[in-house]
Formats: sequence, structure tokens, C-alpha cells
Amino acid sequence: MSDVKIEASALSRSYRRADGAEVKALSAVDLRIEAGQFVCLVGPSGCGKTTLLQIIAGLVPPSGGNIVVNGQRVTAPGPSRGMVFQKDSVFPWMRVHANVEYGLSCRGVAKAERQKVAAQYLERVGLSHVAGAWPRELSGGMLKRVAVATVFANGADVLLLDEPFGALDYVTKRQLHDVLLTLWAEGEAGRRRTVVFVTHDVDEAMILADRIVVLRAGRVVDDLAVAADRPRTTDALLLPGMVRIKHILLTHLGLEAAR
Amino acid sequence: MGILLLLALWQALTSVVARSSLPTPLSVAIRIRQDFIHADQLSFYGLNTGLLDSMAYTATNVAAAVLMGAVVGAPLGLVTARFRLLRALVDPVLMTAGTIPIIVLAPFFLIWFGVDRISAMLLVAIFVTVILYVFAQRAADNIDPVYEESAYTLGASRARVVRDVLLPGTVPQILGGIRIALAGAWGLEAIAELMGAQYGIGKIVQLLAGATDVEGIFAALLVLGVVAVACDGLAAWVVARLAVWNQPARTGAE
Repeated sequence: MSDVKIEASALSRSYRRADGAEVKALSAVDLRIEAGQFVCLVGPSGCGKTTLLQIIAGLVPPSGGNIVVNGQRVTAPGPSRGMVFQKDSVFPWMRVHANVEYGLSCRGVAKAERQKVAAQYLERVGLSHVAGAWPRELSGGMLKRVAVATVFANGADVLLLDEPFGALDYVTKRQLHDVLLTLWAEGEAGRRRTVVFVTHDVDEAMILADRIVVLRAGRVVDDLAVAADRPRTTDALLLPGMVRIKHILLTHLGLEAAR
Repeated sequence: MGILLLLALWQALTSVVARSSLPTPLSVAIRIRQDFIHADQLSFYGLNTGLLDSMAYTATNVAAAVLMGAVVGAPLGLVTARFRLLRALVDPVLMTAGTIPIIVLAPFFLIWFGVDRISAMLLVAIFVTVILYVFAQRAADNIDPVYEESAYTLGASRARVVRDVLLPGTVPQILGGIRIALAGAWGLEAIAELMGAQYGIGKIVQLLAGATDVEGIFAALLVLGVVAVACDGLAAWVVARLAVWNQPARTGAE
């Protein structure tokens, strides 16, 4: 578990706002993420966590510094880094199974093979019964399941999720946490996929993460290991170690005074 | 239902308005039947055709013009939506062309291309091109960038993003634009024919107007109207077939 999967060094990103002011979204971020880790990026809105994720994905170039994934410098988006977006990214003009197959078809996987893989992942997320449906016929939670199935089916070993479940109701969100953790955990240790999950929801981070990285004003301000066993039950979240982490996170978010 | 109401209103109006300015629906229907294959009043002006042939001539021109406009306008709109420099070049040219009234443009086309069908066709094609350029460009502007980003992170090439995201994502708006262009094209084609042509519904109207043959004009316009409405219905059907995914949601339960 010691090989480094994602390495950001002195990463910065600034852009010019419409009024001409220079805004620094990220400044001098150093971050090493090991293979198989489930990392949550937490911070108040505007702290740069989405920007960091987009730089790792290759959707946004850094203004300075370096981002290396799998030993290679990131210059453009690619299938080795799957992304689940905050907004619905499922193509409305393709049926559900075609969406799940899309990445595979881009990489030239034969039709029979990609149909098999897509069917398998649709079953894993509990959507076999709507494989032939149009996305407009699905609910928001089902669309997120399709998006998750799509990136897992594509076989990326780095998964980037940008507040994917932010707009969902509590029950649906918890169900999707289970789906995500099951898919993540299915690989044997060492072959697990590396996950970077952006959220502003402290509880969500504590349920999911091995490690929580806190960003504020474009900088990494804290880096917490979450050692609790999985699955993390309601009781597990109330253990002293977890409560301590929650206090630290809430303090970083400005919701509690430092103690 | 609406058609019956219109007919009733028309019939009622004929009882108050002079026959010479407003013929009755029945007399127009009879006139259509008389003139359908060969119109005697037209052969007087050296035009040996009827409503059917004239309508076919006009319809062919409209179809060709819409096709030309769609082939040029829609791809140009999509491409310029993604390349700023090209957009800066094309936008002013097409926007200027789009604001010139057809009445102003028509004489130039008649001088350049003569009174053959090519003049009228090009006039209408320019109008269709501008409409579809605007529709396609706006559709490409409005498509959520998340789809393209998602495609790239799944491993799609640029060409595949155009084929699998940009095209299908803009098809409903472009087809909507084609319907609007088609609706306008009938009128413009008729005007272009009025200004100078050898055949077509517009030509018939121009000739019969000289003879104040109101009944004949009504007959010609009614045929044009019926065909235009039928074509719009056909276009709407095709649009619905080509963008099945874009229908309003029926269910949304989990």
C-alpha cells in the first residue's frame, strides 16, 4: 500500500475574475495519495477542492506546480482517471446500458464484451431492470447510480468524485454510500481503486474516508487519518476517536471554536 | 375543428363582403379542381401549367433551399460555437445577410442568376442558412459542458465527442430550427416567385393579380397553405422520431 498513486507538488491555480481581480483557487498544494486509499477532500465552499479534483482529472491545467498520476504527468483528461460529476453527466440521448458502455466503446472494446461488463455493473448498482430505459425516465438517485456504474465499468483505477451525492435526499445518499463502498472494496487489498471524493458534508466524509484532507482558501490545512473499521455503523461513528475527528472538522469549517 | 371554424367564419364573411373581393369557400374549391392540372386563365398568359405542377415547382425549390441551408448553416453554427476566431469571422457576415429584407436582395439575385429557379432557391437558402446557423450555435452554446467533460474523462477522442455529444445534444434544437425555417421558407419562396420567376405558385398569384382574379389567387394560396401545413406536420413527426430521448419524462420514481 505504499506506492504513490497521485502526487501533487506545489500545485497552484489562479484565474482572472470578470471584474479583473486575480483569484487564487489553489496555492502551493502538496499532496501524496497512496494506491487504494479512499481520500475525502473537505472544506468550505470556494476552498479549491473542486479545482484540485479538476486538475487531477486533467480538465483544468494548473497555473503552477506538477500533478503526477501513475507516474505520469497529467496534461489532459483520460480514461485512467474516472470522474463522477456534481451535475448529472449521464447522456440523455443514450439508453442507460449505452451510457455504461460508452467508455468501453471509446477504447475499442468489442460489443459483446462491453455489453457483458455493462450488465454486470448495472446489476452491482441495482439497475438491471432499467438497462433499456432512457435517462429521463430515471430519478436523480438512479442517474447517480448510472454515473457510478459508468466509471467503474470503464476500469479506471483512480476515481474522482465531485460532491456526487450532494443533491440527493438522505436515504438515497446513504444507499449510494453503500454502493460506492462495496464497489471500492471488491478489489483485494492493494488492487483497490484509489478514490478522491470531494464533499462539504462532514458525516459523509467520516463514513467513507480512510483519510480526510481539509482545504481552506486554496491550501491544505489538515490531514486526518480515519482508522475506524468498516462498515462504519452508527455506533462506530460515536466512538471517541471519531467524535474527536468530527470536532476537528467542524472547527475547520468554522462551526465550532477551537478547543 | 379549427379548420371547420375557419371555414364557417369565411362563409359568414362572404355574406357581407362583395363576391369580387372575397369568394366563397365552395367557389374556391371548385376553382382548385378546375385549375388543378391545367388552368385556362393561365394559358392566356402563356403559362401552360396548373396548380399541381406549380405547387410541385414551388415545393421542390423550398425543399432544395431548406436542404442547402441546413447543410451549410447547421454545421457552421456548431463549429463556430467551439472556435472563437471562426465565430468572430462568420458571425458578422451571416448576421448582416440575415437582416437584409428579401425584397431588397431579390433584384440582385435576378440580375446575377436570372429568372430560373436557382435565384429563388438561393434567396430562400440564405434565409434558412442564417436561421439554422443561429439555432445550431445557440444549441451548442447551451449544451451543458459536463457532457463533454464526462466524455473526455471516459476516454473519448475529439471526433467522438463531436459525434456522440455535440451532434445528438443539439439535434432537437436544430430540428426545431428546421421546422421554423420551413414555415418561413414557403412565404419567402412565394415572394421570390412574385418578384420574378417563370413558374410556381407565386408566379400564378402575380399573373392573376394583374387580372384581379381573386378566386384564382385564393385557390393558389389555399393549395400552398395546405401543403405547407402538411409539411410542417410531417416535419414534426420526423423531429419526434429522431429525438425520442427528448420527450417529456413519463416516470421518475425510484
